[in-house]
Amino acid sequence: MNEDFRKSIPAPLEAIPFDIPRPYETELANGLKIIIVEDSRHPIVTMRLAFRSGEIDDPKGLNGLTSAMTELLNEGTGKYSSRELAERIENLGANLSVSAGLDNTLVRASTLSAYRGEVLDLIAELVLRPTFPENELNLYKQNAIEGLKYQRSQPDFLADEQMAKAVYGDHPYGTNSPNEKEIEKITRDEIIELHKRKFIPNNATLIAIGDVRSETFENEIEGLFGEWKKGEVEQANLPAPPERAERELTIVDRPGSSQANIVLSNLAISRNDPDYFRVLVMNQILGAGASSRLFMNLREEKGYTYGAYSRIYAKRHLGSFEATSEVRTAVTGESLKEFFYELDRIRNEKPSEDELIDAKNFLSGVFPIRAETQGGLTNLIVAQMLYDLPDDYLQTYREKVNAVTGEEVQRVANKYVLPDQIAMVIVGDAEAVLPQAREFAQNIEIVDAKGKPKSMEIFENDPSAPTMDIGGAWALSIDFQGQKMPVTLVLEQDGDSISGKMESMIGEGEVQNGSVKGNKISASVSSDFQGQSIELIFKGTVDGDSMTGTISTSMIPAPMEFAGKRT
Amino acid sequence: MTTNLNLPKLELEEYELENGLRVILNRENSIPVVSIAVYYDVGSRNEPEGRTGFAHLFEHMMFQGSENVPKAGHFQYVMKAGGTMNGTTSSERTNYFETLPADQLPLGLWLESDRMRSLAVTQENLDNQLEAVKEEKRLRYDNQPYGKIFDLLGEMVYKNFANAHSTIGSMEDLDAATVEYVQEFFRIYYAPNNAVMVISGAFETGRAKELIEKYFGSIPAQPKPPPIDVTEPEEVAETYKEYVDKLAPLPAFLMGWKVPARRTLEFNALYLAGKLLFGGDSARLYQKLVKGEESVTQLFGFTDERRGPSGIIIGAIPKPDKDLDKIRGVIVDEIKDLAVNGPTDEEMSKLRNQLVNMGVRSNQSSLSRAQNIAEYALYDGDPHLVNSEIETLVQITAEEIRNAVDKYLNTENRALLDILPADETDQ
Repeated sequence: MNEDFRKSIPAPLEAIPFDIPRPYETELANGLKIIIVEDSRHPIVTMRLAFRSGEIDDPKGLNGLTSAMTELLNEGTGKYSSRELAERIENLGANLSVSAGLDNTLVRASTLSAYRGEVLDLIAELVLRPTFPENELNLYKQNAIEGLKYQRSQPDFLADEQMAKAVYGDHPYGTNSPNEKEIEKITRDEIIELHKRKFIPNNATLIAIGDVRSETFENEIEGLFGEWKKGEVEQANLPAPPERAERELTIVDRPGSSQANIVLSNLAISRNDPDYFRVLVMNQILGAGASSRLFMNLREEKGYTYGAYSRIYAKRHLGSFEATSEVRTAVTGESLKEFFYELDRIRNEKPSEDELIDAKNFLSGVFPIRAETQGGLTNLIVAQMLYDLPDDYLQTYREKVNAVTGEEVQRVANKYVLPDQIAMVIVGDAEAVLPQAREFAQNIEIVDAKGKPKSMEIFENDPSAPTMDIGGAWALSIDFQGQKMPVTLVLEQDGDSISGKMESMIGEGEVQNGSVKGNKISASVSSDFQGQSIELIFKGTVDGDSMTGTISTSMIPAPMEFAGKRT
Repeated sequence: MTTNLNLPKLELEEYELENGLRVILNRENSIPVVSIAVYYDVGSRNEPEGRTGFAHLFEHMMFQGSENVPKAGHFQYVMKAGGTMNGTTSSERTNYFETLPADQLPLGLWLESDRMRSLAVTQENLDNQLEAVKEEKRLRYDNQPYGKIFDLLGEMVYKNFANAHSTIGSMEDLDAATVEYVQEFFRIYYAPNNAVMVISGAFETGRAKELIEKYFGSIPAQPKPPPIDVTEPEEVAETYKEYVDKLAPLPAFLMGWKVPARRTLEFNALYLAGKLLFGGDSARLYQKLVKGEESVTQLFGFTDERRGPSGIIIGAIPKPDKDLDKIRGVIVDEIKDLAVNGPTDEEMSKLRNQLVNMGVRSNQSSLSRAQNIAEYALYDGDPHLVNSEIETLVQITAEEIRNAVDKYLNTENRALLDILPADETDQ
């Protein structure tokens, strides 16, 4: 059988058009907007009650208040205790949750259509008549503070925290989480006050998709929410984010970290900016996916990382552009070089016709996949509503993607990707990261995991300090998961470079790329461990004939400490 | 509270190619999207001692190119067509799937067939993917707080090596792999007669069948893979262990029980008992520990569902300075209550509603339909179970749940893993 047909990519079949349903829209006298999409394929309904206010609307000095108010909505109402609410919802087999984002607050529910009335009733109960019990607030605070401890062990969280601050400064987008003190001081009275001001019908939209009839459901909504009193929608008065003329780098020191989390970011566009689709296509070419330039360069070609991406956070007010990767510590500098190469290239050259078509095909192709489930379609409509996007936004989405040209891509890259004024955050071992990253930024700051500034000097070596003599044999003791392991190190020094051997009960290793600066020694040791070659990163500080420091390897998550003497 | 719902049934057509590839078509034309799921009957359960991590390594190799598809071409072609794709490995199987605009069905079939018939198993690709697996292990397991604890618990619950070892495997085993062994592994396990393929979504049946025959028909069948033994003695392998997790900010613990195979009456009953104990905010343990005593910040539990002996795991991250034994006492007491008194009527009605809701919801997208169907086809030889399994679960009685909890959970025959932060004073 002739198998030549396998040699090339097959042609697609005849395309099937995709028509996204037009929703039924109406508004109650109190200003509550209602959007209903009838879809009887499955006997279920998905609902959202969306408020156009979120974490950035926290009153001044009361960071975290919106989150606390939102989280406590289903912890007690006029009719039901926290437990009764949980039981009522789950006994119906339904899901009901509430969460606050930066710009918006969402009540999410999904249920068998047989119970849509009961679930709508519960939504009304917790939105209109929450009691915010004092004991539930205390429990919320305790758990939020414990949760923060866990977050602080995550490099992503630390990177976000510093980046938000660098890009947005005092603008409310500049805070990614309230701190312990702020959580501690939240009071029930303030929550009640915020709820009264923000949870008003003319600040909300109710969206329902699924097995419902528009007219009957509208009547049910009217019955439950018709008496809800209108309020005054407040416009947030937001300070301007800082301007940056140069590259600024913040290093979050995580001593011994085997990876460096790199984040680069600058201000970009709002969600309803007319450039939105052009920026979307530009970002697809640059770094949104696994066939974009950043991924192809840093992962596929160079092998520095498991992934490298860029993203557009188009928020209600002023969004941002961001490029990120988690790389091996040793290639931090090389990775930055490639990042800047790609950021410059997307600005300086028009993308090739193939790249442009691929990016547009992807964005228009995945659009129906995102609308396949009720939840997916609901999310698209919620975004359209909350960000004041045009009425035909969903119907024309793919047309608008397909209309973007290569010239436009290059133009928006120059406008919104700003490598010369970008903010950089790297979470990693500052001692290893600083020398590699120094040349890429004009201003550098080092902080610890709690955000406290660290003196740069401890990571610098005073060029005038004499290079210590560290040659000879050292008997060290390593703390390996609670056990002491003896290690012998024999070092030879030639000026400020060192070589030598390391010996332990698990094998022998060669000291490579070793250097001494002042009283600090750093080297990598390639060692044979149970037949497998591993690389150890060795760092020590010498004081006379004593040395202390750490040994880290990618095989063991935390660095091992050692101490010992010259023999 | 009865629902009186007739669950919508999926339309299925099942057939087998001459080379033994089992095909199931599920046509549903409402959205112009199509999903392909290919499930190979190989998981970590098939790995003998000294060869751990191979099933997962292969998941990586399958993206390294084949006769007509260049390295990394698979995901690029899919993305350029406006699709999404991935692959995953478990103890039971390795799966590959893509969701595409409906007109791109030929592309998906071309890509899946090319790697099934001609994967590029070269030394270079092998070395390259060994590095990628190490990078993944570093990111997901080594550099994550609590990243290794579930694998450790698996080793404590299961005695049989086939069940006990982790999917990520041992780096020494992977490093010891020769390209010849890897080629042989591919030949045996990645044969058409060792796989199930499901197509779900918008397509024209006759056209789809023609394309499937064109792309897959000529791939040769292979001898059956070696039989495996996943049987377990009743007792767990180890009842207690402490583990120091240097990245963990707080102490935690995991408890594990060994239970019968998936889809047995007892497993099903225990799966429902699990929902009552730890599923959602109204669950018994959530109400006792997170609320009530307020002693725990995070409570979690799940069933480790396998074709052979399976597991149930419950874990918690308690608040600082809480007595862990006391918290475990609450868990044990609640299990005992369920073993003596059984679920309440209200709980039985909750289970029914949750099952029906889940049954409908999990069949919404073409991809999750394809995956659900593929599992029943591969594990049970009967894809039509996708249309009857929820009803089977709904019919389980309170007494059956009580009995199963009494027999399998209300027992000292369980594993307990204590996770300690390296230095609690350091937090």
